[in-house]
Amino acid sequence: MQPLLSLIGHHGYILVFVIVLAEALGLPVPAAVALVAGGAAAAAGVLGVYRLLLLAVLAMLLGDCLLFVAGRYMGWGLLGFLCKLSVNPETCILRSAESFYKRGKATLLFAKFIPGINTMAPPLAGSMKMPLDTFLRLDLAGATLYATVYVAVGFLFRDFLVSVMRGFQTAGRAVEGVTVLALIGYALYRVWLYRKHAVYRVVPRIQVDEVTRRLASEDKEKILLIDVRSHGYYDAETARIKGSIRLEPNKLKEELQNIPKDKDIYVYCT
Amino acid sequence: MLREEGFNAFVIVGGLAAWRKAGNPLEPVPRDDLVKLPTFS
Repeated sequence: MQPLLSLIGHHGYILVFVIVLAEALGLPVPAAVALVAGGAAAAAGVLGVYRLLLLAVLAMLLGDCLLFVAGRYMGWGLLGFLCKLSVNPETCILRSAESFYKRGKATLLFAKFIPGINTMAPPLAGSMKMPLDTFLRLDLAGATLYATVYVAVGFLFRDFLVSVMRGFQTAGRAVEGVTVLALIGYALYRVWLYRKHAVYRVVPRIQVDEVTRRLASEDKEKILLIDVRSHGYYDAETARIKGSIRLEPNKLKEELQNIPKDKDIYVYCT
Repeated sequence: MLREEGFNAFVIVGGLAAWRKAGNPLEPVPRDDLVKLPTFS
C-alpha cells in the first residue's frame, strides 16, 4: 500500500483514471485497490476526494459505454469472444442473457462488485437493445456506488489499511511461500484435470478436402454433417455448411436419439 | 461423447472457417433454428 500511495501521490488522478478505465474495458487490473488507495491518499490530503470520485465515475462510464456500443453493433460476436474465457463457453451467452434479462436493471447497479459480471453487463445490455438513456442512468448509478464505496473504505480506514500492509510486509516471506504453494497446487490440479480428460481429446479428425471428396462420391448418403455451435445461431445472418444439421451441445444426450448410428458423423465448430 | 455412444464421429479440421476458405457451399441458418435471445425493446 505504501508504494502505491507514494505512486498515487505523484500521479494520483491519472493513475486511478487509467486503472479504473482498464478494468471497465475488461482488463484484469484491480480497480478496487486503486480506488481504496486513492481514498487513502485523499484522507492524507494528497488528492481531492470529489475530483477522485468524478474521475473514477467518468472512467467507468467511458469504458462501459464503449462496451455497450460494441455489444449493440457487434451483436453476440463480442459476447462470444468474452465467453471464450468462461468454463463453458457454449452456455455462457445464453445463460448470461437470460439472467441479465430477468435481473437487468439491478444487475447494472451491482455488476461492478462481481468479477466477470462487471465486464459482461455493458455489452449484454447493448446486445439486448437496452435503451441508451436507461443504460446510462443505471450505469451512472452503479459506477457512483462502486467508486463511493471503495474510495470511502480507503478514506475512512486509511490507518487500519496502513497497519495491515505493514503486517503483510512483515509476514512477507510467509505470504510469498503460501502464494507459491497455492500456485503449484493449482498447476498440479490443472495437469490432473487435463490428464483425466485426455482420453476425450483423442478424436479422429478429417480434412475438409476429404469431406468434400466423400460428399461428391457414392458415399454421400453415409455421411451426416453436424454443426455443434450454439452461439452461431443467435444472429440471422449466420451461415452453416450446406446440408448440415444442428446439434445443441448442451442437449447432446437427448438429441443423439435422433441421430442414425449407421452413418459417419462429421462434426464442426467455428 | 458421440464416440462413447457408439457413433463413428470425426471432427472436421479447421471447422467452418476451413470449409469457407476452401470455397465450399454454405447455406443460411434456417429461421426455425435460430435461438431467440431476449431483448429489452
